[in-house]
Amino acid sequence: MNEEIRAVQEHMERCGYIAEPAIATAVFLAREMRRPLLVEGEAGVGKTEIAKVLARMLGTELVRLQCYEGLDTHTALYEWNYQRQILRLKIAEREGRDPAKLEELIFGREYLLERPLLRAITRREGPAVLLIDEVDRADEGFEAFLLELLSDFQITIPELGTICAEHVPFVLLTSNRSRELSDALRRRCLYLYVEHPGLEKELRILRARVPGVSERLARGVARFVQRLRERELRKLPGVAETIDWAQALMRLHKDGLDAETVGATLGCLLKDAHDLRATGREAIAELVEHAAEPG
Amino acid sequence: MLGQLARFAAALRAAGLRVGLGDEVDAAAALTLVDLLDRGEVHRALRIALKLPREAWELYDRLFAEYWDGIRAPRHDALERALREQRAPPQWQWDGARVRLALAERDDDEQPEGDTPGWSPEAMLRRKPFEQCSASEIAALERMLERLAPRLAALRTRRLTPTRGRGHVDLRRSFRHALRSEGDLVRLARRTRALEEPSLVVLFDTSGSMAAYTRMLLAFSFALRRSIRKVEIFAFNTSLARVTRLISPAEVVRTLERLAARVPDWSGGTRIGACLEAFSARYRDAVVNRHTTVLVVSDGLDHGEGAVLGRAMRELRARAARVVWLNPLAGDARYRPQADGMLAALPFIDHFGAAHNLESLEGLLRHLS
Repeated sequence: MNEEIRAVQEHMERCGYIAEPAIATAVFLAREMRRPLLVEGEAGVGKTEIAKVLARMLGTELVRLQCYEGLDTHTALYEWNYQRQILRLKIAEREGRDPAKLEELIFGREYLLERPLLRAITRREGPAVLLIDEVDRADEGFEAFLLELLSDFQITIPELGTICAEHVPFVLLTSNRSRELSDALRRRCLYLYVEHPGLEKELRILRARVPGVSERLARGVARFVQRLRERELRKLPGVAETIDWAQALMRLHKDGLDAETVGATLGCLLKDAHDLRATGREAIAELVEHAAEPG
Repeated sequence: MLGQLARFAAALRAAGLRVGLGDEVDAAAALTLVDLLDRGEVHRALRIALKLPREAWELYDRLFAEYWDGIRAPRHDALERALREQRAPPQWQWDGARVRLALAERDDDEQPEGDTPGWSPEAMLRRKPFEQCSASEIAALERMLERLAPRLAALRTRRLTPTRGRGHVDLRRSFRHALRSEGDLVRLARRTRALEEPSLVVLFDTSGSMAAYTRMLLAFSFALRRSIRKVEIFAFNTSLARVTRLISPAEVVRTLERLAARVPDWSGGTRIGACLEAFSARYRDAVVNRHTTVLVVSDGLDHGEGAVLGRAMRELRARAARVVWLNPLAGDARYRPQADGMLAALPFIDHFGAAHNLESLEGLLRHLS
């Protein structure tokens, strides 16, 4: 393995993220090739977490843009501070200023509200990590706009002119694949698909994220969750759920799994009424038994 | 090295994956950054740089083994022939965006002379039930399907655009106007919802009782995809599979086979209700909204409980713009919906239509706009 990729992997791990080689390679390549990284995968596999850890690794600010249907440039890019502008106008009126000069006055940088995208490219202290979360939720018009931004890293504000990026941010996009992204956007990025962690990885995550967890409990929890994900469920438990559950069990001073406790705490893992009903007493007994097996 | 990469990329393209020149350049750049002696690393890096989606991994692994390890994979035509023998003729073969019928050699020989599309007047062919069509007639129908370019009414979206009429107040523009009158908000600018294309979700039944229609309806769904940009296609029998994303129609056929393999008794039952429930749980929120037309294609012969289907249909109806059910059996004038499942579903259907010939499919287009 390339030394630098190994270094990325170890650095991510020190920052609390257990990265398998594919993730470390993708982060390394995106950094070296200066390309945005598109991360896809099921909900709960830790896509957003990658961005958080990157910001921590680079010691920089994480700028996050949460996408939703109807998201527009006013929320994503910039907005004028109207209240302040109107106030300034009224004052100027009293002072009897020349109306022609007013426009110049109130469309200055100090009346501009920075939204995430503008913030990410104008950060002076060094490149930020820009997380564009759940980009599949925004509509296609916004996606086209985003593509332009990611190509040039500059923004044109009619009243102010063009603003170029001070530093090109490290861009991460996540998608839950509720909609196919445009080919152009996909081509612009490098691509990483994250799957649910395997047993060993999940164990290591538990050890890293749940301080004080006993080896016995961690192994039981990881084996239980791994097996649970094989069942036909509406919403598979993600890593965050596994961590929650392990913490819940520790608060209950449990050092292993028993059917009764599992039944009472299953809500930490399964967050759908249908899934809870479908995982009845028998299923729990089978899962607990599996979790207790050595190996 | 670059030559090898180019050959590999060409092979991926030939297999139906979308790999562009830009991706090749990215892959080359990635190769300069990784440890070339580490097979795993090269494998991962190329996958990342070529931007291959999860569905393509299996194919990628196979071709990677062939082109980078020098392991020849079994020849594709041999594989295909093996698959073909397992299936009943005639078969569909897929050619890029176009669907066409691949005639096995013996089919050609058995072709009665003169049985060409020219012999069946188009109007007659349109009314001929699919299951009675000969291979060449199907091919002709297929060409007719391609010409079918429905014009669908635009719908409103949540994105806002300026309007002179009613709508949300647009402060930004109001303020620009106000400047002209020295800061007094004389007139409020407003924004309203933009126009957007409609979306369509097709759920079609691939169980044994539908076999005669499946392939034609599949072609129909793909034809729709050319005129409506947002089309999601799902196939179900006892379980559900999303087939929209599959890169080539050949993969759709493979998926249908995988689905078939999961059914213990191929000609046996369909669990329509359970499959619709599964759809609701996994995909509905993502693909169905107030502008979506949901198209269910099934004969309604459900082996599950009618109540489950009724409930699933009610949920679907509540969220979609409209629900259309196509039933090939409905083409028969004597048909009356009597199956439990069909009866349970009926109250939640906006349009119930036939799907046994081209004419019935064309008639459907009215209901999609």
